Amino acid sequence: MTHDDFEAIAALDAIGAASPDEESALRGHLASCIPCRRARDEFAEAAALLAKDLDPVAPPHDVRERVFEDVTPFEEPERDRGFFSRWGLATAATLFLALWGWREVGIRVMRERVRTQQADMQRLSDEKQVLELQREKLAAAVASLASANTQTIALTGAQMSPSAAAKVFMDSDKHRAVVVFANLPKCPSDKSYQLWIIRGDQPKPQSAGVFDVDKGNATITIENLPVMTEIKGLAVTMEPRGGVDQPTNANYYVVGKT
Amino acid sequence: MGSFPSPATEYLPAVARGDLAAFESLYDRYSSTVYALLLRILGNADDAQEVLQETFVKAWSNARMFDAVRGSEVAWLISIARSRGIDRLRARRIRSDRENDAGREISHRSAFVDHATGAEDAIRSQEQRAVRGALVELPEAQRIALELAYFEGLSQSEIAARLGEPLGTIKTRMQLGMKKLRERLKAYH
Repeated sequence: MTHDDFEAIAALDAIGAASPDEESALRGHLASCIPCRRARDEFAEAAALLAKDLDPVAPPHDVRERVFEDVTPFEEPERDRGFFSRWGLATAATLFLALWGWREVGIRVMRERVRTQQADMQRLSDEKQVLELQREKLAAAVASLASANTQTIALTGAQMSPSAAAKVFMDSDKHRAVVVFANLPKCPSDKSYQLWIIRGDQPKPQSAGVFDVDKGNATITIENLPVMTEIKGLAVTMEPRGGVDQPTNANYYVVGKT
Repeated sequence: MGSFPSPATEYLPAVARGDLAAFESLYDRYSSTVYALLLRILGNADDAQEVLQETFVKAWSNARMFDAVRGSEVAWLISIARSRGIDRLRARRIRSDRENDAGREISHRSAFVDHATGAEDAIRSQEQRAVRGALVELPEAQRIALELAYFEGLSQSEIAARLGEPLGTIKTRMQLGMKKLRERLKAYH
């Protein structure tokens, strides 16, 4: 996964909408990525806007009283016991600091070792999570391809990319479709391909996901496919990176009727 | 916080040192915001008051964990309250499958009354206007998806099922909505 992918997960995580797998992959990544941690914090601050948008409501006064009954004041610092006590304390503190400094050298070496081992473990754990996610996606895609009820639809390259092609494997039982693209041109770094579903019951196309191609190829899985409604067709446009709500242009790369 | 400064980090560092007066100010400053959020999530005044109490008690004991570099103190409080509120909501759903939704008797746009001073009121309404602007600018479909996740604790699939939309659409909507809120916040600061 790229930093953009993790940033997209961080956006969902801030409103509690990341899936457990996404959340776990994000936690692993954040341990070692400062820019993504910053993005996560910014999304958390942005999520708070949803709460701040509500009109404030003053709680009943007795809640305030209950809160203050429940909080325990921290222990007060010990009182001054005079010169000898202060001198004793100073000596003890000096001795303690000397011993502490000597120990600290040893501890630092150990800490460095532990840190290296933790970083290795974290890296392996991240890789495991990524592989696990890929395995799950692959298993779901293979199950849909192998299903007896899977319907296959061919999409063809459009004006922007006549040599491109795609096949849709639509598994109505699982409300899932796997779309395999071939021969699509490479996207500029600030753009992504976006797949659109044209539904009979909706006036505007619905986004079915954003994807990039690797050597012209890509596979995208659509979950929760609205099989109960008429799907008139599918189309692919090139959009600003990360996707948009509605297509910003009618330059289709791949189109097809279902 | 990372790219934009934390607005109004006034009380938590003192609360972390055990300053009760600062804690009182923290409560008086933010309890109305937190209570409104909990009413919106739980739709029930008794539950909202209990969670409000838990939130501030937790803020008192965990104030040392607040990091002003990561965000504002109000966002920190809101995140504690939301997390506890959603936990309570889920526990209640499991217990009674939400016997009925009629309990949502409290409007989340009710009158604003609290202990704030006039100057604080002015600052707050300025913030409020900026915030309202941010949400009003969001396309309705994005705002609805964000609210279902944030206030009702629904997962992506639950939102997709409730709105009858593909999961990919919902995911994209929420991500775009959050991006816009983040950009708006940056512009505001």
